[in-house]
Amino acid sequence: MSGNNFTVSPAPHIRSGLSTRAIMYLVILALLPSGVAGIYIYGFSSLRVILISMISCVVFEAAFLKLRNRDPKIALDGSALLTGLLLAYNLPPEMPFWLPVVGGAVSIILAKQIFGGLGHNIFNPALVGRVFLQISWPVYMTTWKNPRWAVDAVSTATPLAKEGAPLFNYMDLFLGNHGGCIGEVCILALAVGAVFLLVMKIISWHIPFTFIGTVMLLTWIFGGDSMFSGDFTFHLLSGGLVLGAFFMATDYVTRPLTKKGKIIFGIGCGIMTVVIRLRGSYPEGVSYAILFMNAVVPLIDRYTKTRKYGLQK
Amino acid sequence: MLRDYARTIFFERSREEHYMKKLLREFSKGIFIENPTFRLALGLCPTLAVSTSVVNGFGMGMAATFVLVGSNIIVSCVRKFIPSKIRIPCFIVIIATFVTIVELTMKAYFPLLSKSLGIFVPLIVVNCIVLGRAEAFASKHSVANSVFDGLGMGAGFTLALVVISAIREALGNGTFLGLTILKGFDPALLFILAPGALLVIGILIGAVNYFTEKQHGA
Amino acid sequence: MELNQLFVIAISVIFINNFILSKFLGLCPFIGVSKKTEPALYMGLAVTFVMTASSLITWAVYIFLLKPFHIEYLRTLSFILVIASFVQLIEMFIQKFSPALYRVFGIYLALITTNCAVFGVAVLNSEMFLKTADNPARALLFCVTQGFCAGVGFTLVLLFMSGIRERLELCDVPRPMKGMAIAFIVASLMSMAFMGFAGFRF
Repeated sequence: MSGNNFTVSPAPHIRSGLSTRAIMYLVILALLPSGVAGIYIYGFSSLRVILISMISCVVFEAAFLKLRNRDPKIALDGSALLTGLLLAYNLPPEMPFWLPVVGGAVSIILAKQIFGGLGHNIFNPALVGRVFLQISWPVYMTTWKNPRWAVDAVSTATPLAKEGAPLFNYMDLFLGNHGGCIGEVCILALAVGAVFLLVMKIISWHIPFTFIGTVMLLTWIFGGDSMFSGDFTFHLLSGGLVLGAFFMATDYVTRPLTKKGKIIFGIGCGIMTVVIRLRGSYPEGVSYAILFMNAVVPLIDRYTKTRKYGLQK
Repeated sequence: MLRDYARTIFFERSREEHYMKKLLREFSKGIFIENPTFRLALGLCPTLAVSTSVVNGFGMGMAATFVLVGSNIIVSCVRKFIPSKIRIPCFIVIIATFVTIVELTMKAYFPLLSKSLGIFVPLIVVNCIVLGRAEAFASKHSVANSVFDGLGMGAGFTLALVVISAIREALGNGTFLGLTILKGFDPALLFILAPGALLVIGILIGAVNYFTEKQHGA
Repeated sequence: MELNQLFVIAISVIFINNFILSKFLGLCPFIGVSKKTEPALYMGLAVTFVMTASSLITWAVYIFLLKPFHIEYLRTLSFILVIASFVQLIEMFIQKFSPALYRVFGIYLALITTNCAVFGVAVLNSEMFLKTADNPARALLFCVTQGFCAGVGFTLVLLFMSGIRERLELCDVPRPMKGMAIAFIVASLMSMAFMGFAGFRF
């Protein structure tokens, strides 16, 4: 990390030997297959959303840094690019051009820079951007596009939509042959990236596996018409669960520090996701669940830390 | 004798030279220097809850102003008789009386407004601005001063409410007082929902801080 | 049937219509006492206790005093009086019998006297359950449940907030946004997260 002028950051110090910048670009690399799949499935419009979102994130970051008399070049450290990419992956493939711009502004300014920039944010920036858009313009955010090769051009609901969801087979879900957000749709591509991150030791298993495990267990118990009859494979393969569990809940800044904390965090995310999926009015609960648990992270850290440095109380 | 007394409670400082000027100052301080919402952060609950549209915000501001002025007058009148130990309960009874008047009047003449303001009309009774002014100002000053203080604080509160609700209505509904502002503008629903209120007040407080800092810092 | 309804009230008051994040009641203590976790916890406990107790008391006032004499229009006046005097009474009682407890809770009780969340829960109870109450005992059950759960929801959000604000102390927040401004932004983001619970079907 020599040569960069980061100020001293609070708790989430990165422990791996890699620099922040290297980690950011490796995560972006791990996300690429899924983006390629999204562009292949939905066509050019998804590439447009991804590019607009990434560019606006970097531009807003640089502008805000300039406003605070910091070096605007910090905006190229990869974190803004990653935020933009993740934001785009959580958006439908076709939408007015200004929507990703607003999303990028909210993610970068409201969720990240106002707290002091990288390492200081409490909530996951990309998710704040997505939830902001979801609450503000629910119509655009739920207008889905069918895969390019689908016969009927009329857009359909995502598999998780509660009323009138068409039936999907597991293979379609696994490969992404249905309507959905750009980056969450092809589970195969996401799995490739996730394995890469795990092998490179950029993320640990604790959060994603407890998160997904909890969702599967609870949907199996409560998801069906009677107890223990829920379709947990369906819940694993549809919606943003895999994307959220591997790439967003594991965000270095907004996750707990200890192993015990991560497990609590993962289970909490899982419970909230299932509660919203099965009972809430939104079709998808992953983003809300992660944001909710982000708010609890400081408390989790506080009570799972074995030893406190500095003054006791 | 009685006239003398009335004179003291009404025009305690009438011998001062710039009497009207002072009254005016009591009035204007509530709007800017001691704006209850932005500077003192008092009475935020109703501010955030009812500022979904300009009509609601203005209605709430007017109701609170009426209660402020009314309770300031009575508190100031009786300030010499009330033992200081039980003054707070007495103030609360006085305030609650005025709130009940507002509540019933609004229900009778503005049923729609009353419905959309909901429980925040009775909640004026626990609005810290009202009790705060009774305790900090009216119980120590003459009636005339208290009237202007109440008017000023009420105006400051109303102004803040109107500003916040104008922002929220414009961004969240694309309208001002129900009229469409800009054709083809897609309003962001979030701003008329709960997160929008917290967001707008947060940014406004930040902006006020920024400008005060600039003024004093330069 | 009844149990189900109680569950609905609980979930709704704790998460969907959380007093702080969606109803905007009790913002003063939320902003004022959320800088550290321990005071936040004590404040939350005190508020929960007072909310539950005042739900009970205002129920009694409404059913035995206001309703029989048809003076419901005195609701605001009578509620605020009994709540304020009740809190004062508790404060004196604790001061007398348990100075240790008073040292912990005394200051918070004083702050609660005119807390809009406490008064708000009483008014909400009367609007939702008491106005149309044909069965006073059932209404009592609902009122006390709502009072208690509103307190739990309040405590929960206050605790989250205090944890976040302790961490914010270390953050490089732009100067004009420090303090209250950033606290409201955090509250706004939390409120967005809580929107996920909107429109629950039971």
